[in-house]
Amino acid sequence: MKDSQAFDHRPDPELGAALRAALEPKDDHQVFAARVMAQYERALDRATVPTLDVLASWFRPGIAAAAAALLAGFLIGRAVLTPAPASIDAAMAPLEGPGLAALVTAQDPPDASVVYASLVDQR
Amino acid sequence: MFAKGDDGGGPGVPQPPTGAARMGSSEDDKGLAAKALAGDRNAFGVLVERYAAQARRVARAVLGDPDDADDAAQDGFLSALVKLAQYDTRRPFGPWLMRIVANAATDRRRRRNVRQAEPLDPALVGGGPRPDTVVIRNELNARLRTALSELPERRRTAVVLFDVEGYSHAEIAGILGIPEGTVRSEVFHARRRLRTLLADWKEQAR
Repeated sequence: MKDSQAFDHRPDPELGAALRAALEPKDDHQVFAARVMAQYERALDRATVPTLDVLASWFRPGIAAAAAALLAGFLIGRAVLTPAPASIDAAMAPLEGPGLAALVTAQDPPDASVVYASLVDQR
Repeated sequence: MFAKGDDGGGPGVPQPPTGAARMGSSEDDKGLAAKALAGDRNAFGVLVERYAAQARRVARAVLGDPDDADDAAQDGFLSALVKLAQYDTRRPFGPWLMRIVANAATDRRRRRNVRQAEPLDPALVGGGPRPDTVVIRNELNARLRTALSELPERRRTAVVLFDVEGYSHAEIAGILGIPEGTVRSEVFHARRRLRTLLADWKEQAR
């Protein structure tokens, strides 16, 4: 109990005993243990349910976000890949020119650049 | 590491743990913790019974009020239950559990406007008829609790963990999350205050 013992690296039995007595609960520890164990299942449930709640809270927004992303992707893709519609006159114009007979009766397939150039010239 | 499965003591029967008892129970603790983690309710129940006294005392050192302390100790045990997967079985179970209990007590103290430590009974403080031994002991207990409540939280927790529960400075450093040197300092200052009170009381009791 001397002050010189204050920095002792060993526990002080006298002070420890006095503090223990001062802090000791009045009731039986088994009563407390039973109280804790009465909450056993509830504690485990609480630890599990919030996780499911979190997942559930993510579910609807997640579905909505995925649907919106799919729709946006579809619309953008269609806009990029689909050619602009041509008028019926423009589409039929090459058929009316003199090159049609030559194209049909030719021995060899036509050169694509020549066909394209003739179509452009007719416009 | 130690623990008070060996804590047979009720009030007035202090039993500081021996090294052998601490080591022995430590191995048991790890097995019980593994079983509890696997869903063995009884294994967790054994751990609760083993550490109930210690957890309640440590929580009371933090909070002062015994009811608040029991609530905090219960929170600590149940928190430990759901965190069992985080327990490193290479380390002793006691310090790990006490860290959770001490944190639960600190959290509770922060959340609530914790009542002050029980005031001394004026009849015990001075005057009156010569009290018997039990009353004298109760007076000392009340004075010690008051003195503890006047210490900073970390200081009172450190001295209780060291002198009452038998943890080493290094273990307390892990429990409180502070350097070991700080633990030594906190224990030193707490002891100086409490020993003075104890010496005064012994002088008066003569």
